[in-house]
Amino acid sequence: MVIRVSHLHKSFRVHRREAGWLEAVRSLWRRDYRIVEAVKDVSFTIEKGEIVGFLGPNGAGKTTTMKMLAGLLHPTSGEITVGGFVPFEQKAEFKKMMSLVMGQKSQLIWDIPPMETFLVNKAIYDIDDRSFRQTLEELTELLDLAPLLDKPTRSLSLGQRMRCELAAALLHRPQVLFLDEPTIGLDVHTQENVRRFIVDYNREHETTILLTSHYMGDVAALCDRVMIINYGRLIYDGELSVLTEKLAPYKRLEVRFSRLPNISWDEYGEVAEMEEGTVVLRVARETAAGTAARLLERFDVRDINIEDPPLEEVITRAFQEGVYGS
Amino acid sequence: MVRKYIALLRMKYIEMLAYRLATFVWMTGAITQPLITMFVWMNIHPEESESFLFYFMAVIFVERMTSAWDVWELDREIREGTFSNLLLRPLHPIHWAIAENIVYKWLFLVILVPVWMVGAVYWPALRPHMTGSQIGWFLAAVVLSAALRFLLSYSCGLLAFWVTKVAAVYGVIDVISLFLSGRIAPLEMLPPQLREWSEWLPFRYMISFPIEIATGAVRAEELVRGFAIAAGWLLVLAAVLQWLWKAGMKKNQAVGG
Repeated sequence: MVIRVSHLHKSFRVHRREAGWLEAVRSLWRRDYRIVEAVKDVSFTIEKGEIVGFLGPNGAGKTTTMKMLAGLLHPTSGEITVGGFVPFEQKAEFKKMMSLVMGQKSQLIWDIPPMETFLVNKAIYDIDDRSFRQTLEELTELLDLAPLLDKPTRSLSLGQRMRCELAAALLHRPQVLFLDEPTIGLDVHTQENVRRFIVDYNREHETTILLTSHYMGDVAALCDRVMIINYGRLIYDGELSVLTEKLAPYKRLEVRFSRLPNISWDEYGEVAEMEEGTVVLRVARETAAGTAARLLERFDVRDINIEDPPLEEVITRAFQEGVYGS
Repeated sequence: MVRKYIALLRMKYIEMLAYRLATFVWMTGAITQPLITMFVWMNIHPEESESFLFYFMAVIFVERMTSAWDVWELDREIREGTFSNLLLRPLHPIHWAIAENIVYKWLFLVILVPVWMVGAVYWPALRPHMTGSQIGWFLAAVVLSAALRFLLSYSCGLLAFWVTKVAAVYGVIDVISLFLSGRIAPLEMLPPQLREWSEWLPFRYMISFPIEIATGAVRAEELVRGFAIAAGWLLVLAAVLQWLWKAGMKKNQAVGG
């Protein structure tokens, strides 16, 4: 296995201060600290070539965990190995076999073209001329970088920059890739492209990928396996489809009527939404088909749609209620 | 390592070109203070105008060749979290800073030496009277000064792992150094007590010492002692930096996400 994490903890000491200027004055000489446990007893392993989605609400501990995996943060306790290395020792060999891409933070040098960052990385990562040329060619093609390479980074759009960011992170052919919200702020079309690139790249090079994202589209498209973290604890680790079944034992029944009947819907299901002429019902999985048939028979239905609840809803449920028996 | 430095120097050079205006402002802005100080002293002691002229030309030169702005860079990078990008790469971040210092100081050298030479044509007072070995000691002392100021600045910058806005701490040190390094007045004009302290503190070796060599104020036996004290501080600051680095890495919160 490539990544192994056992009983990982991380706590921070945070300065606490009440609001108000009297408190501000008081805090000049009396500081209260409290310990925030950002990550509590997290354990998991990831095999070579896996793409794993790492999900959780803001502040759940995803990024903290990822930073520990990349060697930026020192764990309070517990063990991590990535590709046989202990990340925090920050060995050059370790840094050469992994990459961390942060959607909100650029590794490209801001005021000069991306190509200059690539050349610096070439030297720093000891990439020889031939592999550099080959890799750059491949990435230029996959990510359509040709028109971007000689423009100052600051003048690139967010999507263009993200593509260059991925290229900069992959030039040294890392075996392990940590992606922290790689599609944040991108438009739907660019998100789509980045996803396709990640899938292709993973298939081609068997790169092990751990990814966090708030966009369920990313997760649905990329990950078979997800880990859910909340309040610093790992609450689910397993297949995405199993999670959906477990947390959402119902289907969404979207029914459009010619004229919305004025009835109580209780005998059909729980009303999730109601708009002009349309009702969305939550119906138990087993009875979904029967309910649909009854509705068709009794009312003037123009259209009917049975689907799984959206992933957002499933994940939100996981955050709120926890996942039992995982 | 040579290959890495070539790549870093090249990149920093291109980056500097992108900041042409800012570079020009740093260059000229830093000259203003010594120039004004010089005019003040010339007004107080008109009979010594010529030696002040030479002294402050040397201050401008040495100050530019040794100044280190790393504390502000580190302060910003650590506070905003961009420092993580350097930490992720398999090369110690300090090399980025060293490369940057080399590039900018090279530019200052290329500008200041001709300026000094042209000035010397018009004002005889600016002409240095140095022997070959004096020039050698002068240059060695400038390099040592640059190293001392770099280590101090970088070490202060690392304090950003513990406190935000560390540039304020450096500001205090800078004010002390303004007087004890000879930037406001030649050290020989300090009260005797302060002058004695200045010999043992690192600040003299950050600006004044090379200038004293250039003006011939340092005698042979003092030369050795000066270099020994400066080298001692170099070791101390290097050790401090290394310790701060290790402790800072444990403390690092890699802010931002």
